[in-house]
Amino acid sequence: MPLTTEEVEEIRRILGREPTLEELAMFEAQWSEHCSYKSSRVLLKLLPSTGRHVIVGVGRDAPAVELYPDTAVVFKIESHNHPSAVDPYNGAATGIGGIVRDILAMGAKPIALLDMLYLGDPGNPHANWLIRGIVRGISDYGNRIGVPTVAGDTFFDSRFNRQPLVNVACVGVASRERLVLSSPRPGDLIIVMGNATGRDGLLGSSFASKALSDNVDSDIGAVQVGDPLTEKLLIDAIQVLVGEKLVSYIKDLGGGGLTTAISEVAAEHGLGAVVHLEKLHTRQSLSPLELLVSESQERMLLSVEPEVADRVAQILEKFDVSYSVIGHFDDSGRIRVYHGGRLVADVPARDLAKPKAVRRDSRPPNEALKGLQPLTRLPTPPNLKDAILKLLSSPNTASKRWIFEQYDYEVGIRTAVKPGYGDAAVLRLLDGSCRGLAVKGDANPRYTSLDPFTGAANTVAECFRNLVAVGSRPIAIVDELNAGNPEKPEHYWYFEMMLKGVAWMAGELGLPVVGGKVSFYNEDSQGRQVRPTATIVGVGRIRDVRRAATMDFKQLGSLIVVVGATYPELGGSEYLSAIFGIEEGEIPRPRPATELRNAKFVYRAIRRGLVRAVHDISGGGLAVALLEMAVRGGVGFEVDLSKLVVRGDGRFDEILFSETQARYIIEADENAVEELIKYAQLMGVDVSIIGRTAGGGRALLRYDGGSITVELDEAASLYERSFEDAIEGGV
Amino acid sequence: MVKFPGTNCDEDVFHAARSVGLEPEVVWYKYFRPSSWDAIIIPGGFSYGDWLRAGAIAARTSAADSLYEARDSGAPIMGICNGFQILVEAGLLPGALLPNVGGRFVCRWVKLYVERPRGPWLKVLGDGDRLDMPVAHGEGRYYIDNESYYATVVKSPVLRYADGWNPNGSIYNIAGVATEDGAILGLMPHPERAYTDLLAPRGFTPGGKILFKSLADSLRKGW
Repeated sequence: MPLTTEEVEEIRRILGREPTLEELAMFEAQWSEHCSYKSSRVLLKLLPSTGRHVIVGVGRDAPAVELYPDTAVVFKIESHNHPSAVDPYNGAATGIGGIVRDILAMGAKPIALLDMLYLGDPGNPHANWLIRGIVRGISDYGNRIGVPTVAGDTFFDSRFNRQPLVNVACVGVASRERLVLSSPRPGDLIIVMGNATGRDGLLGSSFASKALSDNVDSDIGAVQVGDPLTEKLLIDAIQVLVGEKLVSYIKDLGGGGLTTAISEVAAEHGLGAVVHLEKLHTRQSLSPLELLVSESQERMLLSVEPEVADRVAQILEKFDVSYSVIGHFDDSGRIRVYHGGRLVADVPARDLAKPKAVRRDSRPPNEALKGLQPLTRLPTPPNLKDAILKLLSSPNTASKRWIFEQYDYEVGIRTAVKPGYGDAAVLRLLDGSCRGLAVKGDANPRYTSLDPFTGAANTVAECFRNLVAVGSRPIAIVDELNAGNPEKPEHYWYFEMMLKGVAWMAGELGLPVVGGKVSFYNEDSQGRQVRPTATIVGVGRIRDVRRAATMDFKQLGSLIVVVGATYPELGGSEYLSAIFGIEEGEIPRPRPATELRNAKFVYRAIRRGLVRAVHDISGGGLAVALLEMAVRGGVGFEVDLSKLVVRGDGRFDEILFSETQARYIIEADENAVEELIKYAQLMGVDVSIIGRTAGGGRALLRYDGGSITVELDEAASLYERSFEDAIEGGV
Repeated sequence: MVKFPGTNCDEDVFHAARSVGLEPEVVWYKYFRPSSWDAIIIPGGFSYGDWLRAGAIAARTSAADSLYEARDSGAPIMGICNGFQILVEAGLLPGALLPNVGGRFVCRWVKLYVERPRGPWLKVLGDGDRLDMPVAHGEGRYYIDNESYYATVVKSPVLRYADGWNPNGSIYNIAGVATEDGAILGLMPHPERAYTDLLAPRGFTPGGKILFKSLADSLRKGW
């Protein structure tokens, strides 16, 4: 977004004179929505960001949370929506690069990546090209830097055909004393390490702060190109620098390039800086302006005391990492930039780093009424067996093997519960103990389009459930709010409601929102917003990864227990969308008190070894969840759904495919059931024993007056193959 | 363990080797001198970002000269994944590794079996023994012409993917090959990712530890 007239006026006032071209470029980069959060800052304060375990909250490159008394987890989410729409391969790849460097900046070791991808219809040629490019970009970059991509989330919808959402997250761990929490001091040298600066990604964050133009090729110069080999060397070198305690501060050169990195560090610590641009190592001859705002990737800024500079240089040279000493911090409070001895910019750090927050108008559009109207007229139920099979084949439900097998999810030898086996990924710490953590990312773009507040709240709850379902205790989340144009009140309303929904549910569940990002201007060339989407990534603590629960049915004759009551809640469901193409109605109601109670029950049951498999119930409802457990485990089942605890009076398909929150399915040994029921009664949890796992290669669902039989082979083949067929054969 | 720019499995192999009592050390390629070590492992990763061809550049560094020295002294050498690609590029093992059939990177647990096990890495195994391990590569399709195959591979220890488990279109289901005496072994699957039960998903038994055990045993008692 170019600067507005008022902003230029404000810059004149700050400087007391006409700004130079370089200064204008610095302000444009730093005051872009992407870097400054000027449209969201006021509301972001609503998020509950503190808590007993929070070590570093919002403000640094990434937050840090106490996982165990001696170990911190550092994790963060980021979007690369705009670059990925123009150049899917490089756009997605550089998203990974950037998020990993944020984790490195805290001194943590990156141990896992997640990708939350909201993509178009695989059968649409353009969307298909984007999907392939995005997945390959993440695969090529993530695999090469040796950080496993272990979890994520996907959603496919034609409204993402041209403008996908690419959200990525990285999780790192560090011992408490390894975290880089110190501040740069006046006199510290400023070192830029990594890639040579070039003419790529010029004003990329400014590009991300406006709508995509019709002619995407004109934006290609704003997309950065990734170099995973250099990133890997940065990872290796920083582990050594941090291990020897040689740096007082580390920061990624990300959006806004050198300008943002230096102004944010200086402003945050009340410092100033002197920078000599000609000392920066470059790929080509660049003007001072280009040097200031280039977003060339794989560069990081180090603050280093002069006494240890030689040792730092030695380490960087060992790893073949290029670097340049470009200046130093001082106590002037001003950023002074020289080029060949000439002063090209002289601005107060604090004013540059923080533009005035903007209050935006917010107003619900008429379309928002679709999510407020109860569903009064349901279409005639179809053949239910066909509906179940069709849901299992929907790209939103079917196995994402085609995606996750392109990712090295094993490297690092920490991945105890791998993609496709559990509701979340489980990693061990690899510190000699069995301690570990669970991670998962979630969103439901359909929910947040219909009802942004409730949809975002349900997303927080779903992430929470996924973490609980593997046997972990959720400790914190980060959020990425993907929204439209903040200058349009009817777009901004979605952002505001999603944020309030996240804040409310996180508060209710006691989950601090320790960090997050906002991506605005996700609109197409006609000015229509793409689906507003709240993405949540959560981390859970798991004391013994050997006890982690997976979702596959393990053996014949186990009892199948449903935790939580089922309401007739089909609004915004995968069933209505996939079978009838209907997208309307009230989405399932969030029930945080039930959510907490049921989670506690499931967590305890797993810890006490009372379960063989656990799966949360989400898109597609009970029917799909049961079939997923059967297909993954290669074990059939027989259930009688008249035994299910149901509230309200619903048609059978409303029960079968309802997406009521706070529910789980448990496979339990017969001997464990007594104890489970006792706990449930004690805790006031609704449980229903609906049947047993069974042989015969089929799934049988009985209900009042009828039954459905699904052959497991057919279900498995549809579940395993549909997505790959849609990608590979759909065009 | 020799580490090149882009090697990313060094710490994993380190853990696996330590788990059987070996005393591994990671050596940056610039400082690698073979005479100081009893055995050499080239871990997986993406040396030099897989530029040109996987393993091609690493095989032309001074570290490769040191590998020839090590071969001449008869030291056990194992290349895993990218390490296998480097050994092939350096001419220490026969054949070539091409992009996977399907054109995509693939990360997946597979089932293997061994033929004619001998030498420091495989001697404790029996002919036909089954091993499960994960693969994770984009260029793992083993290729060799028939003449070389019958001249070398059929006389040497070899690891094959079990029927139905070939993830990349390798010729004759080959997952790993060795020199005739088994001193030099290269394989695409990752034994270090299969050294403990904790890492094996349901339906697979971890088959990686046995290779490290075999080495530990061989270094003590010979092979």
